[in-house]
Amino acid sequence: MRKHVGDLCLQAGMLQDSLVHYHMSVELLRSVNDFLWLGAALEGLCSASVIYHYPGGTGGKSGARRFQGSTLPAEAANRHRPGAQEVLIDPGALTTNGINPDTSTEIGRAKNCLSPEDIIDKYKEAISYYSKYKNAGVIELEACIKAVRVLAIQKRSMEASEFLQNAVYINLRQLSEEEKIQRYSILSELYELIGFHRKSAFFKRVAAMQCVAPSIAEPGWRACYKLLLETLPGYSLSLDPKDFSRGTHRGWAAVQMRLLHELVYASRRMGNPALSVRHLSFLLQTMLDFLSDQEKKDVTQSLENYTSKCPGTMEPIALPGGLTLPPVPFTKLPIVRHVKLLNLPASLRPHKVKSLLGQNMSTKSPFIYSPIIAHNRGEERSKKIDFQWVQGDVCEVQLMVYNPMPFELRVENMGLLTSGVEFESLPAALSLPAESGLYPVTLVGVPQTTGTITVNGYHTTVFGVFSDCLLDNLPGIKTSGSTVEVIPALPRLQISTSLPRSAHSLQPSSGDEVSTNVSVQLYNGESQQLIIKLENIGMEPLEKLEVTSKVLTTKEKLYGDFLSWKLEETLAQFPLLPGKVATFTINIKVKLDFSCQENLLQDLSDDGISVSGFPLSSPFRQVVRPRVEGKPVNPPESSKAGDYSHVKTLEAVLNFKYSGGPGHTEGYYRNLSLGLHVEVEPSVFFTRVSTLPASSTRQCHLLLDVFNSTEHELTVSTRSSEVLILHAGECQRMAIQVDKFNFESFPESPGEKGQFANPKQLEEERREARGLEIHSKLGIHWRIPSLKRSGEASVEGLLNQLVLEHLQLAPLQWDVLVDGQLCDREAVAACQVGDPVRLEVRLTNQSPRSVGPFALTVVPFQDHQNGVHNYDLRDTVSFVGSSTFYLDAVQPSGQSACLGALLFLYTGDFFLHIRFHEDSTSKELPPSWFCLPSVHVRALEVQA
Amino acid sequence: MAVCVAVIAKENYPLYIRSTPTENELKFHYMVHTSLDVVDEKISAMGKALVDQRELYLGLLYPTEDYKVYGYVTNSKVKFVMVVDSSNTALRDNEIRSMFRKLHNSYTDVMCNPFYNPGDRIQSRFVSLGRAFDNMVTSMMIQVC
Repeated sequence: MRKHVGDLCLQAGMLQDSLVHYHMSVELLRSVNDFLWLGAALEGLCSASVIYHYPGGTGGKSGARRFQGSTLPAEAANRHRPGAQEVLIDPGALTTNGINPDTSTEIGRAKNCLSPEDIIDKYKEAISYYSKYKNAGVIELEACIKAVRVLAIQKRSMEASEFLQNAVYINLRQLSEEEKIQRYSILSELYELIGFHRKSAFFKRVAAMQCVAPSIAEPGWRACYKLLLETLPGYSLSLDPKDFSRGTHRGWAAVQMRLLHELVYASRRMGNPALSVRHLSFLLQTMLDFLSDQEKKDVTQSLENYTSKCPGTMEPIALPGGLTLPPVPFTKLPIVRHVKLLNLPASLRPHKVKSLLGQNMSTKSPFIYSPIIAHNRGEERSKKIDFQWVQGDVCEVQLMVYNPMPFELRVENMGLLTSGVEFESLPAALSLPAESGLYPVTLVGVPQTTGTITVNGYHTTVFGVFSDCLLDNLPGIKTSGSTVEVIPALPRLQISTSLPRSAHSLQPSSGDEVSTNVSVQLYNGESQQLIIKLENIGMEPLEKLEVTSKVLTTKEKLYGDFLSWKLEETLAQFPLLPGKVATFTINIKVKLDFSCQENLLQDLSDDGISVSGFPLSSPFRQVVRPRVEGKPVNPPESSKAGDYSHVKTLEAVLNFKYSGGPGHTEGYYRNLSLGLHVEVEPSVFFTRVSTLPASSTRQCHLLLDVFNSTEHELTVSTRSSEVLILHAGECQRMAIQVDKFNFESFPESPGEKGQFANPKQLEEERREARGLEIHSKLGIHWRIPSLKRSGEASVEGLLNQLVLEHLQLAPLQWDVLVDGQLCDREAVAACQVGDPVRLEVRLTNQSPRSVGPFALTVVPFQDHQNGVHNYDLRDTVSFVGSSTFYLDAVQPSGQSACLGALLFLYTGDFFLHIRFHEDSTSKELPPSWFCLPSVHVRALEVQA
Repeated sequence: MAVCVAVIAKENYPLYIRSTPTENELKFHYMVHTSLDVVDEKISAMGKALVDQRELYLGLLYPTEDYKVYGYVTNSKVKFVMVVDSSNTALRDNEIRSMFRKLHNSYTDVMCNPFYNPGDRIQSRFVSLGRAFDNMVTSMMIQVC
């Protein structure tokens, strides 16, 4: 009865009294061994003490009060109704308990109140008493829960967990399902209270599972889902994939996976496929590393099933509980490792016109494009890339992707996400083999406006789930920048030529890439026209075109212009509207060395001696001028024929710079390169070259051994229209009479203007100029009648110093005048016997230095036409005065003359040979400078 | 005798977990996972005590109907959890303690392996010392039972 009074006192808010009553009742009940009542009394004592100690109430206010308030009726009823609900609330008790901590609390603290430690002890005692009764489970549970709350306030989690642990094992029979759920929920709540989040999550999950236990007729999937969601923090699981993208995975994967599976299942049973798709994709995205191959397969299988009903989207899903599920992009399906924005192909790459405004940064460097600079700048400006895209042109981005799944991955609708510029993305579909290595994927798109474009990411559809993957959020991705400038539209030019395409591709230096290659085969000296069709395949009119050519360095020496063109005719057709075609003609002329090296040298050396001697004006040589000597082909030469037929190649790059449309006004142009590959077959060779002096000092004979290295009959003609027919592999000599050249008059100009002080280079240029003149004078042409091909031949390459010297007019020009008449060549000076003949030797010095003095002796002789020269003419010719003349030193460009006279005593043909006295001065000068014409004098009878 | 052995990283994710009845692995996952609450609680309680003289062995974390869960925490907050069959009453506290010490030693060996990346899962197929660790755990599991 004491206990009852205590209860009533407690309900009435008389805390002090209730404590006293409880104490008394405990004493009484201990003696009578009524454990149930004893436990109840102890509990009452405890609750009173708790109220005393913690006037603010225990734990969550409403919850605490509720249980305390429910104690009495439940307890009172428990004998009659085992398994009473905890939820039964006595409203009266509720109000009195908490609100009336009473003013008298301070007074009786020392007397009957239990200390906090004692409260727990008493609770333990009470619980142990309760546990003796099987049907007192509910009360025991309550007592446990109350104790836990008290402990939670005391922050004694460990002990609280012991109580809870005990509470779990309290066997409550015949609980309804709802009660079970409630019980687990409360347990979880309490664990939460003492800071055991994991335990709390565990029980919450059990509660959730109870909601849908198979024994329940109407499974509460919705409740289950809600409870499951509440467990998420306990498993340190966040539904935002962003939390997972950074660093490694944190958390207990196996457990989290299980939970996600349950979430998926619950949401599906809830009839919300979008939700289950979201959860499933989240599971796949975040737990990919922990899924086994079989699980991966299963998960994707089910994901595909769901998405067939409801495709996955990128919108966040809002849950009724106020929680929103952020979208889950599949950044791991496939995994992108590397993103690289590709430059346009070389032929479409825009270039900035440098002179315009000079705002282009690269004007600092001599290169239009250099990979090194581009690299540096890429780092400096972090994400800006050093090339441009062109509006309206297809631009490419390369992704290196790989598939981590153990099966083939089909990625559909893969495209680019960009900002800054209107961009038309052309989606691609790809299928990646199982566990592929890095796999390049090129995503393309067309920028529609100009400006600066930033590639932010890409979007995919995998297993029916759309995902937008932003590059910033991807871990371990390498980009070389993602911002590119888009410049206004430019025209596009397509080139087609009259020549076949070449398999050869030229590898020119420094970044140039050749878009088209053509090849042609020509004989040495031949020229051909190359017709290039320029077609504007872009959308903009083509307004400007510039053509430059660059011959790639070859070992072969090239004479003359290799490529020549006239741009004016083509430009007349401009502006070229889209779809229109213009033609452009280029002349290809190949002129390589016509010499063949080794033979030439030795042949010259033995001929050179003969030339260097005194010129012999042998008459029979003069007669047969273009003499053709049938020369048998030497065996060693024919064996070398293979050498001659060696095909040489010439390569050149034609650059077309073109522009038009809005891009042109912005100062951009495009560069298109055409590679030209010319195979040069040898036509004729000059195996040997030598000179013979002609009768006149102003002329000489050039002897050329011409070798036909083709397999066809070939004719060779010169300017003087002599035609020489050569059979295949035949070698013949041809002689051409040429006027000597006065090289000094012109070749200085190129040397003077340059600062090329390099004497070697100067000499080279001079030589070239000479060769050119000789070539133009000779005008040697060849023709292959069977092939109807013809070309030029040039001796430029084979003229060596010696030959050149012979071909050159001597700087000392000697003129011999007989009777005041210039006596040269074959002209015969006539004179009368008995009359003295005036002989004048005139010297014009064109050399840059003064020469002389010279001493000359005139030696007359008679040619008997049989090779015998009669020099013994003392009886027939007498000199008036001395036979020796003296010439003073002649200044540069000065002139000097000496006079003498001859007296022919008999008629006849006489020759006068003017000979120098050997002295030291003349030795300094080359002998060819002292080539004096022979004088032919015919002495006649005196006319009566 | 140990039914389940788990090594848990400082950030409370498993570095290693192995249980003998493999068919019900998830149960042990839950068990070990929830036991972390107690471990956390004990650590925070001990945090007030002197850190140097801290006892690494945490003792019994909590008993369940069939199993007893023991805990051990290193100075670097790596946790070892061992689940023991509660029917095995012969097992003394000291034995558990020595088992934990053994476990700790082999874990140290794993950490000393230059090829082991701290924070990674201890997998026997990648790290040779991981295999040694595995073997040690296996020996602990079959010791008595």
